[in-house]
This record gives sequence, C-alpha cells and structure tokens, in this order.
Amino acid sequence: MTFSLLRRRLTLGIASLAVAASVGITPALADRTLLNVSYDPTRELYKAYNELFATYWKEKTGETVTIQQSHGGSGKQARAVIDGLDADVVTLALGGDIDQIAKATKKFPEDWAKRLPHNSSPYTSTIVFLVHKGNPKGIKDWGDLVKEGVQVITPNPKTSGGARWNYLAAWAWAQKNLGGDEAKTKQYIADLFQHVPVLDTGARGSTTTFAQRGVGDVLLSWENEAFLVQQEFGADKFDIVIPSLSIRAEPPVTVVDANAKAKGNEDLAKAYLEYLYTPAAQKVIAKNFYRPSDESAADAEDLARFPKLELVSIDADFGGWAETQKKHFADGGVFDEIYKPTN
Amino acid sequence: MSDATIQFPSKTGSEIGESFAVKLVLIAIAVAFLAAVLLLPLVVVFMEGFRKGAENFFAAFSDPDTLSAVRLTLLVAAIAVPFNIVFGLAASWAIAKFNFKGKNLLLTLIDLPFSISPVISGLVFILLFSAHGWFGPWLKANNVEIIFATPGIVLATVFVTFPFVARELIPLMQSQGTTEEEAALTLGASGWYTFFYVTLPNIRWALLYGVLLCNARAMGEFGAVSVVSGHIRGLTNTMPLQIEILYNEYNFTAAFAVASLLAGLALVTLVIKSLLEWRYASELAASRRH
Amino acid sequence: MSVSVTIKNLKKAFSAFPALQGVSLDVAEGELVALLGPSGSGKTTLLRSVAGLEFPDSGSVFFGDTDAAQLTLRERRIGFVFQHYALFRHMTVMDNIAFGLRARPRKTRPSETQIKARVLELLSLVQLDGLEARYPSQLSGGQRQRVALARALAIDPRVLLLDEPFGALDAKVRKDLRRWLRQLHDKTRHTTLFVTHDQEEAFELADRIAILNNGHIEQIGTPAEILRAPATDFVADFIDDIRPKDGGKVTRLRRAG
Repeated sequence: MTFSLLRRRLTLGIASLAVAASVGITPALADRTLLNVSYDPTRELYKAYNELFATYWKEKTGETVTIQQSHGGSGKQARAVIDGLDADVVTLALGGDIDQIAKATKKFPEDWAKRLPHNSSPYTSTIVFLVHKGNPKGIKDWGDLVKEGVQVITPNPKTSGGARWNYLAAWAWAQKNLGGDEAKTKQYIADLFQHVPVLDTGARGSTTTFAQRGVGDVLLSWENEAFLVQQEFGADKFDIVIPSLSIRAEPPVTVVDANAKAKGNEDLAKAYLEYLYTPAAQKVIAKNFYRPSDESAADAEDLARFPKLELVSIDADFGGWAETQKKHFADGGVFDEIYKPTN
Repeated sequence: MSDATIQFPSKTGSEIGESFAVKLVLIAIAVAFLAAVLLLPLVVVFMEGFRKGAENFFAAFSDPDTLSAVRLTLLVAAIAVPFNIVFGLAASWAIAKFNFKGKNLLLTLIDLPFSISPVISGLVFILLFSAHGWFGPWLKANNVEIIFATPGIVLATVFVTFPFVARELIPLMQSQGTTEEEAALTLGASGWYTFFYVTLPNIRWALLYGVLLCNARAMGEFGAVSVVSGHIRGLTNTMPLQIEILYNEYNFTAAFAVASLLAGLALVTLVIKSLLEWRYASELAASRRH
Repeated sequence: MSVSVTIKNLKKAFSAFPALQGVSLDVAEGELVALLGPSGSGKTTLLRSVAGLEFPDSGSVFFGDTDAAQLTLRERRIGFVFQHYALFRHMTVMDNIAFGLRARPRKTRPSETQIKARVLELLSLVQLDGLEARYPSQLSGGQRQRVALARALAIDPRVLLLDEPFGALDAKVRKDLRRWLRQLHDKTRHTTLFVTHDQEEAFELADRIAILNNGHIEQIGTPAEILRAPATDFVADFIDDIRPKDGGKVTRLRRAG
C-alpha cells in the first residue's frame, strides 16, 4: 500500500467514524428541552410527573417538551449547578442547598422561597424508620436507636439533604424528651452517630446499603423512600415504624432564572413548577409516596398511607435553614463537634 | 505484550527440585485465585443480567436513556482513542528518540493520570472550566460548553487514558533506539516515510495493545467522567454512569444487562488481541529475536 | 560519482564535554581514510557530523565544492553503515536494500523492475546471492553487515561512511571482511571514511589514517608515514602494539593493480 493510499484510508475511516458518531448523538427531535436538577429519591416521582406535564404542555401549546433529569445527592447537585450545570429548575431536598446556589451564582433572588406557595414546597415528606420484617430489635421511637447492639443507617449530613432531616428530627425528639437540655441533646445525637456503621453520601446509597446489602437494623429514611423500598423489595421484607415525633421535610423547588432566560425557557420553567401544585400533579405526587400539599384529587388509598404524627418544622422550631445550617452543619458546627468515626 | 516475552524454562520441575505435588498445589492456588478474583465476578455479571430471562436482558437496551449512554460511550471512545494514539506516539517518540531538558518531568507527567485518583482528575477540569473556574467566564461568554457536556467527558476520558498508549510505546522505542530511523534518513527517506515504513511497523504490536487497553479504559472510566458529567439522563451519562443509575433505581436486571455489554466489549477487545497475536505469532517472534 | 570531502575546523560539544575541538581533514576523491582513536576521542562524532546526523557547533564540511550545511540528508547522498547494522528488522533483505530507492520521490524513483535488478546486482557484489527473501534475524553478523553495506551502496552514495563496521563481529569474520572490503573499495572507488579503534584494521585497510585523541587530530598520514615518524607521544604510544619490533615490515593489503 502506498503512503498516500494509506493516508486516504485513514482519513476516510476517521471521517466516517465522526459522521456515525455525530448522527448517533442527535437526541430525539423535540421542540423544547428543560433540565430539572433534582436529588436522589425523586427519580420515580419526576419520571411520572414529567410525562404528565409533557402531555399537559402539548395540549396547551402544541409544543413537544423533553424534560431532562439529573439526580444525585442534594448538596452535590447544588454544587454542580454552582459550577455551571445548566439547570432550568432545581428541585432539591432542602432550602439550604437552594440558598447556596442563589448566594453563589446570583442567578435568582435570595428570597426565592416566597415565589411559590407553601415556601415553594409543592410536596412534603417526613422521616420514618425502616426495619426488618417483624422489627426484631423492637425499635419504636428515637430513644430505641441508641440501645446496645442497634445499628443505624443514615447518610452523611454533610453531603445529603435527607441526612440533615434525619439529624434534625432526632434533635427535635431529644430536645423535647430530655427536658430541652442542649448538652443532653448533643449527647444523644453523639450516641446516635456512634451507632452508625456506614455513612453513605446520599439517601439512595444508604437505602441500598440497608435494603440490598443488608447492613444495619434500622434505616432512617424519607417516608417516600421507605414506601418505595417496600414496593421494590416486597412488603414482606421490611416494616415501617412511625416515631412519636418527626420533622416536616420540605423539599423546595425554584426556577434558576438566569439559566432559563438564556435558554428562552422562562415561561416553560415557571409553568413546569406551577403545574406541580395542580390537583392532577398532586395526585401523582401522592401516588409516589410524597405528602401532597393539596389532597383534593389524591386517591384515598394513597392518602391512607400517610399516618398522622407530630411534626416539627424547620422554620418554626429551628429558625430557618440559614441558622440551622450555620449551627449544625457548617464546618466546626455541632455535627463536627459530636461526630467521631467509629473506626 | 510483555506476557509473550516470558521464556518458559525448558527444564522440568523435577530438575529444579520441586516435587510434583508442590507444583500441583501452586497451579491449583493460581487457578483458584484467578477464578475467584477474575472469572467469578464476570460470570456473576452475566448471570445477573440474564436472571429474568433473555427477553428482559434485551429489553434493557430499548430504554432510550440506556441507548443514549451506549452511543455516548462509543462516541467518547471514538474521539479519545485516536487522540491518544497521536499524543501517545508524539510523546513516546520525543522521549525515546530525543534528549532534551525536562524529559524526566515529561515522563512523570505522562504517569500522572495513573497515580492520581480519577475523581481528582475530574475535579481539575471543574476547577478549570466550571462557571467559576479559570476559563469559565470566557467559555460562558463565547457559548462554549465543556463541563456537564460531551466535551468535558471527552477531556476527562482523554486525561485518564493518556498513559496507556505512551506507556506501552516508550520502553519499546527506547530499547529499539534511533539507528533504524537514522539509517532510513541517511538513505534519503523523508520523516513521514521513515515514520510509516520504519518506526510504525516496529512498534505496531505495542501500539495495538496500547490502543486496546486505552479503548477498554475509555469505555469503562467512571470516576473522572462522573465528576464532569452532570448526570443529565439521555444526554451526559456514559455506560458506567448509566449502570450506577439503573442499579440505584432498583433496576438490577437492566443494570447488569448494560454491565454485561460493557464487560462483553472488554472481552471482545481481549479476544481480538489474542487472535492477532496468534495470527502474527511468527512475525512477532522474528521482530523480537533481532 | 564520488566526491572529495573537506572538513574545516569542526567543533562540537555535548553539554560541556567537547567532542570535537577544531578538526580539519581533506579526503581526496576515491580515497579510503581511517579515523583511528581510543573511545571518546571524537571519531564517531566526526563521522556523524559528516553524515549530517550531528550538527557541529562551528566549522564546515564540503562535498566537492558544496557546503554540506546547504544540503538535506537526502541531498547529501551518503552511504552510512552502522556498527550494529541498523537493518530494518521487519523487512526482507530485498526490501532492506531497496529501501533507499523506494523512498525517493516519485519523479526520481526507478521502476520496481529496475529496483529488483539493482538489488540482485548488489547482493551479488556483496556475495549474498539467493538470500534476498531472508529476514535480518535469519542472517549471521557478517552477512548482516554486508546487507547493510549493499543497502548503503544502493543509493549510489557520493561518500561512504562506515562506523566501526566490524566492531560487532568475531575476529575471524572480521579479518575476512576487512580483506573483502578493501577489494570492494578497489573495485567501486567510493570516497570512504571509516571509524575504528583497531590499529591493525586501520593500518591494513586505509590509504591514509587520521589519529584522533581528545577531540582533535594528532596526526594524518599514510600508514608508512605514521609508522616511520609518529608526530606525538600519544601516536607513538597508541601504535606501539603494531610497530614491527624486529625491524620487519607491517603487513599491508596492497592495492590490486
């Protein structure tokens, strides 16, 4: 083979590769795309909701909309948006993470939470216990978690939104039941984390550790995640235990104004989040194990799953996210003070 | 290619002084170890993939997100591998054939992706190209997307796979020296002619092996790609990331089906390598004896 | 056609170590000159500078009237033979010898038939008829070096440069090849420079000998001149081994005809 022939063949080969690749990467034709950056346990919820919204949007405007999803630990996802992940909307596990984005990027106002009803949380959840069938260790309330020989599974509050709710629910129970003594409360939290053998970075990681790998006696879990585990692994394997007191977890949503504007998606992004509050969407929310803010259209059997229990709230009982973040989870905060790895 | 250079001693075990039993035990341990550490996980991957039948196995690939992950992985490999061939050749040529200041530094730099955790490799790109990174504002102003898009994934992959081609070539080129190239040049050959007709044929086996390894790693890279991907479904997830997602969504069959495909691609790579080595065994031996 | 080689005040240093410190040498057309000296004396650097494989720091090399600095490696058209043959290991003997012809630009490249004929002719010249299909690894050392020589001759070089051509061979083969090379030179009359550290080889083969030490030439002259009147103590000492102690004559390969 002569040199020029060889070269021609090489060029041809690379060119055809490039063509094949560029043809292959073209996404399915869509009029518009919207990127929703969310946290771990909402995968199933948004899969269902996106279908509902796309149908609604098509009927309303005739446009075909493709909603792209990105999921991960809430704190990690916030970091990615700060680093430039082009989210039109963020639907994260806690307001603190969205505050961070607002502060770092200035892409939307810091009082974003006021822009939608219920502090911009279209659905809520709470923290419950997931235990092995029959509850062999007899775990009924927060106090039982620090009993001898009980292993507790929770993700790391530094990286996981769910884990912070876990921590705060435990804190609220301890404060109420130990006479409001802060030192005793801290001691309880310290004891609790001594019972944690594995600190995963995200809620889904902890769920897998507990349900799939069988580590630990009790999983501190989002209520919705606990129901999901029962559904995926069978109700004959795990029981849900409702503690005497828990926290109202409010996963908020907001439009990242500057990103949506740059992509010409302002109307779409706003509609996407507003539609979450409609009865049709709330029904899907209830079906996916989140507590709806509007129960009018939800199925009775879905609602029946949510037990009534005493719930504290981040704003009323902890003074809001900014303060909570600073006191408990920032570097040098209470969590750093009490947490020492067991090994 | 190093395995083929092992010279099996012609002496039998008894002459060396090992008893037959000792030999048997050693072989048994080696085989058991290989089976447990290498073969078993591979078998498990395929078994899990087919646990719910072939139908479910193939159904995993009808998911558009999974298909897009397969396409993205192939695209990334198709860009990263040729890129690394060119850079690997250039770097190893420079190191093996020339003496210059900073040569040792270059050698160390080439090894950097081997010694550094892929997560850090990814974070470096975040540091450089993210919205608040060094080049972030400029990129944003010029509408260039790198992080959380295909270019970032390609960059991260190129970075972690960089040593594979160069590391295969450098020792070989160093041992072959420069005299054949010098001979070609004195005979009036041009630089390119010398490269294609003298250098390339001498290194083609090492190059091929480096390319195969590089390709396997390019398709399988998780850590660095995970950091720069942004995990947008159907857009910036490669096969390894898609496997993790499927696994985390309790979709074990699909996760292992995609894992089987990835493992299958790796196996095909190895089979190709073995076939080539077998087909060209005599030529290989001839080029080594010299 | 062969040309004369003129070397003028060549200097070359390798990172502080001076390899050549002002070497001048005239080689007449058709002459066979040996560069003799201990290792590290600069003889190989001198040869490689003439070839264009090293770039001297100062000084110049002329091929005939042409300044070699103006010429590319291809234009210099030198035949270089390396100590360790440097045969292309993945090519047959035929392809090795044909390399220089096939590498020419299309305009000046001979036809494949002409190339084959030329290769067979050269093989016959170096007495390796019938071995054209072999690979280098299937040849003995002496055979390899003769292939290397044929390969160098194929491009019809203006100057032949041999770098310790017999250095890697055993004594017997070496002696035979030495005689053979002298005969070949008498037949082809290429201007030839060859590097050796073997006094006997230099004195037997060369028309003239340049004795190098520490990067400069100690003495240039015919073997007889050097034997009769060593110019320096170094030369006297260096050739001491081969000086006839009994007053007899050194064996010389006389030129045929």
